[in-house]
Amino acid sequence: MSSALTEKPYAEELPTTGAAGMILNGRYLPPPEDKDGKIWVRTSALVQASPEDLYTIWRNVEQAPAWQEQITRVVKTGERTSHWVMETDGKTIEWDSEVLADEPGKRIAWRSTGGDSDNAGEVVFEEASGGRGTMVTVLQEFRMGKLASAWETFVGRNPKQAVIENLRHFKALAEAGEIPRTQGQPHGDRGLIGKTKASTYGEKIPNAIRLELICDRSHPVPGT
Amino acid sequence: MKAVCWMGKSKVETLTVADPQLLNPHDAIIKITRTAICGSDLHLYDGFIPTMESGDILGHEFMGVIEEVGKEVTNLRRGDRVVVPFTIACGSCLFCKKKIWAACDNSNPNAHLMEAAYGYSGSGLFGYSHMMGGYAGGQAQYARVPFANVGPLKINSDLPDEKVLFLSDIFPTGYMAAENAQIQPGDTVAVWGCGPVGQFAIASAFMLGAARVIAIDRLPERLEMARSLGAITVDYSEEDVSVLTALKDLTGGIGPDACIDAVGLEAHSAQLQGTYDKIKVALLMETDRPSVLRQAIQAVRKGGTLSVPGVYGGLLDKVPFGAAFGKGITMKMGQTNMHNYMKPLLERIEKGQIDPSYIISHRITLEQAPEMYKVWRDKKENVTKIVIDPWAETAA
Repeated sequence: MSSALTEKPYAEELPTTGAAGMILNGRYLPPPEDKDGKIWVRTSALVQASPEDLYTIWRNVEQAPAWQEQITRVVKTGERTSHWVMETDGKTIEWDSEVLADEPGKRIAWRSTGGDSDNAGEVVFEEASGGRGTMVTVLQEFRMGKLASAWETFVGRNPKQAVIENLRHFKALAEAGEIPRTQGQPHGDRGLIGKTKASTYGEKIPNAIRLELICDRSHPVPGT
Repeated sequence: MKAVCWMGKSKVETLTVADPQLLNPHDAIIKITRTAICGSDLHLYDGFIPTMESGDILGHEFMGVIEEVGKEVTNLRRGDRVVVPFTIACGSCLFCKKKIWAACDNSNPNAHLMEAAYGYSGSGLFGYSHMMGGYAGGQAQYARVPFANVGPLKINSDLPDEKVLFLSDIFPTGYMAAENAQIQPGDTVAVWGCGPVGQFAIASAFMLGAARVIAIDRLPERLEMARSLGAITVDYSEEDVSVLTALKDLTGGIGPDACIDAVGLEAHSAQLQGTYDKIKVALLMETDRPSVLRQAIQAVRKGGTLSVPGVYGGLLDKVPFGAAFGKGITMKMGQTNMHNYMKPLLERIEKGQIDPSYIISHRITLEQAPEMYKVWRDKKENVTKIVIDPWAETAA
């Protein structure tokens, strides 16, 4: 059983080489290598919205269950702290999180401070050239071995892929006002093989998105 | 409701499944009044498109009446008559803004599957594999239409369904193929494949100013139809006919200004290469049979244009890229950017410039669909287009 999310909180500094560590002195840098029990994922999306609006949606953590897979509840516990509840592979895990850096309209960095998950990350919002919207880049790390990661892939959503998919959901919600889905649509008998492919198709991703939290596009962030 | 389901390669069944429900705020549920089987459905039937699952509801050419709308759909209401485009587009992403609707960023829930295969994901499609969205299709009595605020075309006139149904795919697809051919006045255009898309490509090529259209196929009823549109026909299966020679003969030796491949990945060939491709596909050494593509690249004139509305899915073998480079040709292709064409083409139908229903050969019930897939694949009964009335109990 995956226990990687239950290790002690991680406390090192994140890389400080500019936008999610992608460019240093004009050179492209690949994402950090998975090693020493940590896995990294970096992903980016071009979103048709302003950096300020996207920052606002992201920073409103209680809204996260609307676009982050398997996150069922987030409660703000302070100006920079929050408590997260996730349902994964049939069990509930919880952790606390704090914001390390908060630059409105530009960047947010965070880390977990205790509980069942050990993760840290940052998101950077940069205006794209030629009125093409905003480049959103996410860099996230988990303290989790490769084996545990592989297990997650088998039983549900690979954690790296989850970060990639969550950014995709974030973009869809910000641009189109909803996240495309097929869960709950009709189909004929899936047969033996079809039923076992739990991780492959969106139709079967458990508890993907809290639909009732999706609000209309003109008011993307209730309460702000 | 009743729906036509893909149950494995060469296996299609009409089953009773749950009714669709609104799942997202921009959804609509439509009661389908007419739906059709597309040539590209045969690629699913024949197992060429990966990520199909047993139980998937087929069909991407359908129209009907709005039954219910989600809370964010303000432009449609219950009772509206609509034609639904087969590509699903959000209307808000960079690509939709650029009117490359078939490249929509936000309509494919399984974008990662397509990214793995193609680098980036295109839009979601109805009833066309999980890689392309996994959306339940429209060969059914009802369908859920995502982004109903963007896609469906409202039909306000009392034109019968059969005249407007093909705005859902094949008429715009044939038209975009002709547009992609970059036709200049006086041009000669060669069209491979005289199925429905080829027919509309021929008609559209004339609409866009082609002086001469040369249509290539082997089925007499389809060639006859092409001639009725004004095309010169070449039957590639006839003994002593070489398509390349015919195209040279008919163009004073320079070749067609534009070539349109309206056949795609399951091309038949009278030549040895047809057997070659069948063997390579069977051995999993290529996924598509590109004999038409090869021939079209070979045939097009220097500096000419190759337009490809025919569907390709994967990896092709022995494509003469040197010839393409050597002649400096332009190649344009892709899923149809439906939303650009539906309204202008509806206007052409309303003005009586074209009646797309002329291609229909068979009108059937949902129960007949499984047997008709076989007829369609085998090109029996002079079949040119099959339309389904999902509420009919007995065949028309």
